[in-house]
Amino acid sequence: MFKNNVKLHHIIMALNMVTRRALALTLQQLSRQQTAAAASTLSKIGNREVVGFGFNGSPAYVDRVDFPMPAVRFREDTPDVQVLREKEMGDWKKLTLEEKKALYRASFCQTFAEMTAPSGEWKSVLGVTLILSSLAVWIYLWMKVFVYSPLPETLKPEYQEAQLKRMIDLRANPVEGTSSQWDYSKGDWK
Amino acid sequence: MFRSALTRVSHVARSSMLDTSARVPAATVSRNMSKHSTETDAELDARYEAYFSRPDIDGWEIRKAMNDLCGMDLVPEPKIVIAALKACRRNNDFALAVRFLEAVKEKCGGRVKEIYPYILQEINPTLQELGINTPEELGYDKPELALASVYE
Repeated sequence: MFKNNVKLHHIIMALNMVTRRALALTLQQLSRQQTAAAASTLSKIGNREVVGFGFNGSPAYVDRVDFPMPAVRFREDTPDVQVLREKEMGDWKKLTLEEKKALYRASFCQTFAEMTAPSGEWKSVLGVTLILSSLAVWIYLWMKVFVYSPLPETLKPEYQEAQLKRMIDLRANPVEGTSSQWDYSKGDWK
Repeated sequence: MFRSALTRVSHVARSSMLDTSARVPAATVSRNMSKHSTETDAELDARYEAYFSRPDIDGWEIRKAMNDLCGMDLVPEPKIVIAALKACRRNNDFALAVRFLEAVKEKCGGRVKEIYPYILQEINPTLQELGINTPEELGYDKPELALASVYE
């Protein structure tokens, strides 16, 4: 940190006047943009108390299991919450269960159990996937009936038998294939 | 020339000094060439317990330390939990204490049935003393309220 600042100082001194002025103006703009961004986030939280760093430094409320303490309280500071806060400064054993739960809900939106509760989304995902798949199968069936031409004649059983007989007569694949299974002396399959 | 350079150096030195005061005090780490920390478990425990036990700790600092602790791959030791609960008491924040207990239970991961009862057993005296309820006692171990969908 110390060395970097001294180096930076040397660099800035070495620049000429024009570049130094341009650099100063850009830095001013940057800082104005940063404060504007911070101000716009802050203006969205209303009367809520900023209580911490949160997950990235901006005063936003998000329920996250990996960042359990958000940057702002969930509910705004209203008079009934103020009353609870007064009681909170005293002995906590004197708070009723309802008051304790109200204090929790004032600072936080969802409990961990609610955050991590299963949503059942998998059922809708599975259901929609299966519906779309069945639609695809219906489309194929329609194509088979209305679009595809009929199968060639040569795929009929009689034609296939004639083709097989021709293969055997030609001794096709006599070592390990079709003709090796045919017994030529018997005139039948081995 | 030397005098002006000296004033500049002292300004920078002062600003860098002021930066370090607000940070969590570092453990006894001399110089690391890699990002791998050489801090032992005991040192980490001691560091966080000392940080939470600071008498003038701020709500902001408690939450930052808790978030950092929950970001690490470990379940906090009971003594750190006790120090954090006492810090919540000093700051008069009951909800924060309950939230931290929920976060500790979440950190137990798959072995929650072995680890969480042990932690509760160790911190029970502090819970009784400060009047903090566990999330189970408040009924927050099961979901209580549902979040309205933003799509309806």
